[in-house]
Amino acid sequence: MIKGYAGRILDVDLGNRSFSFRPLDEETARLYLGGKGYGTRLLYDLTPPGIDPLGPANPLIFATGPLNGSLAPQSNRFAVICKSPLTGGIGSGACGGSFAFGLKKAGIDILIVRNQSATPVRLEVDGDRDSVIFLDAGELWGLGARATQAALGKGRNHAVIGPAGENLVLYAGIVSDERIAGRTGVGAVMGSKRLKAVSVTGTRRLEVDDQEKFNDYTKWLRKLFRSHPVLGEKLRRYGTMGIVNTTNARNIIPTRNFKLGHHPDAMAVSGEYLEDHGLVGVKSSCIHCPVACGREVTVEGVGRVKGPEYETAALLGPNLEITDLRWVNEWNELADDLGMDSISLGVTLGFAMELQEKGLLQSGLAFGDATGVSAMIQDIAHRRGLGNDLADGVKRMSVRHGGQAYAMHVKGLELSAYDPRGSYAQGVEYATTNRGGCHVQGASMYFESTGPLTIDPQSLRLKAEIPVVQQNLACAINSMVLCIFTTYGMIPRQVHELDPKSRLYRTITYLFERSGPMYRLITKLKLRPLTWFEQWLTFVTGQTFTSGHLQEIGERIFNLERMYNLREGLTGADDTLPHRMLHESTFPHLDSGHPLDQLLPTYYRIRGWDAQGVPLQRTLDRLKVRT
Amino acid sequence: MSVTVELTYDLAKALGVRRLELEGTPTLRQVLALTRDRFGAEGATFDKLTRVTALVVNGVLVGQGRAQNTPLLDGDRVSFLKAAAGG
Repeated sequence: MIKGYAGRILDVDLGNRSFSFRPLDEETARLYLGGKGYGTRLLYDLTPPGIDPLGPANPLIFATGPLNGSLAPQSNRFAVICKSPLTGGIGSGACGGSFAFGLKKAGIDILIVRNQSATPVRLEVDGDRDSVIFLDAGELWGLGARATQAALGKGRNHAVIGPAGENLVLYAGIVSDERIAGRTGVGAVMGSKRLKAVSVTGTRRLEVDDQEKFNDYTKWLRKLFRSHPVLGEKLRRYGTMGIVNTTNARNIIPTRNFKLGHHPDAMAVSGEYLEDHGLVGVKSSCIHCPVACGREVTVEGVGRVKGPEYETAALLGPNLEITDLRWVNEWNELADDLGMDSISLGVTLGFAMELQEKGLLQSGLAFGDATGVSAMIQDIAHRRGLGNDLADGVKRMSVRHGGQAYAMHVKGLELSAYDPRGSYAQGVEYATTNRGGCHVQGASMYFESTGPLTIDPQSLRLKAEIPVVQQNLACAINSMVLCIFTTYGMIPRQVHELDPKSRLYRTITYLFERSGPMYRLITKLKLRPLTWFEQWLTFVTGQTFTSGHLQEIGERIFNLERMYNLREGLTGADDTLPHRMLHESTFPHLDSGHPLDQLLPTYYRIRGWDAQGVPLQRTLDRLKVRT
Repeated sequence: MSVTVELTYDLAKALGVRRLELEGTPTLRQVLALTRDRFGAEGATFDKLTRVTALVVNGVLVGQGRAQNTPLLDGDRVSFLKAAAGG
């Protein structure tokens, strides 16, 4: 077996309560790495077209990659793959915490959970004994994620669902420690199986091809990360909420259900404000991560809990016209404990408020008013009253109540907190990302709106190229499985210290903006391992990985996801943005929104797809994508 | 006739206000000078806190040269921009 892999897949059937171990396929690992890539390959192969996402035929696949368990910083993440009940296409989530570490210690690369249990069940997996015990979870059913993990104890690593998953909220997530695989409703699929928790244990050691070089390099890198202006300073000090003032200045923070891109008091939900007003306890991290981007906050009546991320602060804050952090902290805690995606939740609440404003729904919710929001979040998780409606997300709500022009989703997945009207590459990324309107499948906005070296976000130059390169890279990273935040470290301190007003800064951005094909060519070169992803993979597996290899693997995964979506009935027509994003402007100098129609044909051409967004056969052949 | 100047967190903390309202329609160059004036004898603090920031008008990054000397419009919003990373 290739080094870095445990070499085993655990296949569990909840219907007849059986399990088996089988070897990981080396060729698939070479082509798809692991994590999201390997998981998508399995999903494609294991399921016929058209299955019910909440039915027994939808497998729930927990997948690690070659870097998990290696002690590389930011490598304790697992991917979850299934058919999404929210979008009907590829469902995937990624989660920190400690579960990935536990799976690898148990000698398991991938856990497939098939079928459904008739009653609530939990699994205890012991990798040393090669055993899986099916236990009644009746007493845990109904408990929040925190109480569930407390009841399961500290001896094992857990992945659990809260009430939102049990009640099939279409944007329910899966929780490990204080982190959540939030997007696309993977928690609802776990709930449909009546699987409350998976706990793993084991004492196996990961085999690394060149342990000495890996250790030396990782030691050096930890120091680099700790002194890096983003990883060691900004993220460590302010968490992801440290970006609030930047997106607000850029006019891209969702405000009033994305009607606006700026809120005059957004500063009150920023990481700086949180830090400055004593609302932060200790920093928190996934295991072995030197960045510690999480932070604890105090919520009245609950105590110290993990605080909100940027997405949550923006979408439960300015998006609802709320700028009181106490509310944001409370709602974030509710979402985490009930086990649901706070991005989809924030967008859904904003949509319900706008429907109320326009007289299309009597939700009792209003912009700028916290009244009733906490109760509504509880109702959503338990599918009570109107909460049952909101539990289906904005796409389905807009079909029932109207308001499709301002239902903020792509392919059914609610939009993240970067308004694409001020970030054109991010808009192309939202429109084309296979799991829907998500920001962490490329994070293109970093190159045009938020990072230290940004090109004009509203010109058309490079706005089709950046998403392609970034989506490919994100696919590879999510298959190792690493935290995407490691990519921030690629930009050195010297660049962060460049004055945007300087001639040098303007020259670099001018040239970058015009680099076009050269940019794509450079990223495809297979010269030698440069970044830490490439170095780590090379040291761990003993095979050489370069930027070009990762682009190729990522492109392969992206195309396989695309083929899955096409098989399930999605088309190029789903590569779009909400009407509000295309036709309403938030910038005084423009009278329309995102110019997607001008960018999509170029994006398709670069991808090697036809005009309808279908991968050409020669593209699939080149990438060795079997369909 | 006025323009709003939104400060970075550090600037706001130093001045004790989140934003400034400037009468008339000054140019960006004048906005910078007027904002710096608010720091009085602590002008060096302003210089330090704005060293690696860009200027943004209504969400759009403004270049150097002529743009700095063009009068702003009534209701314009000027922000100081710092790079950041989120997720």
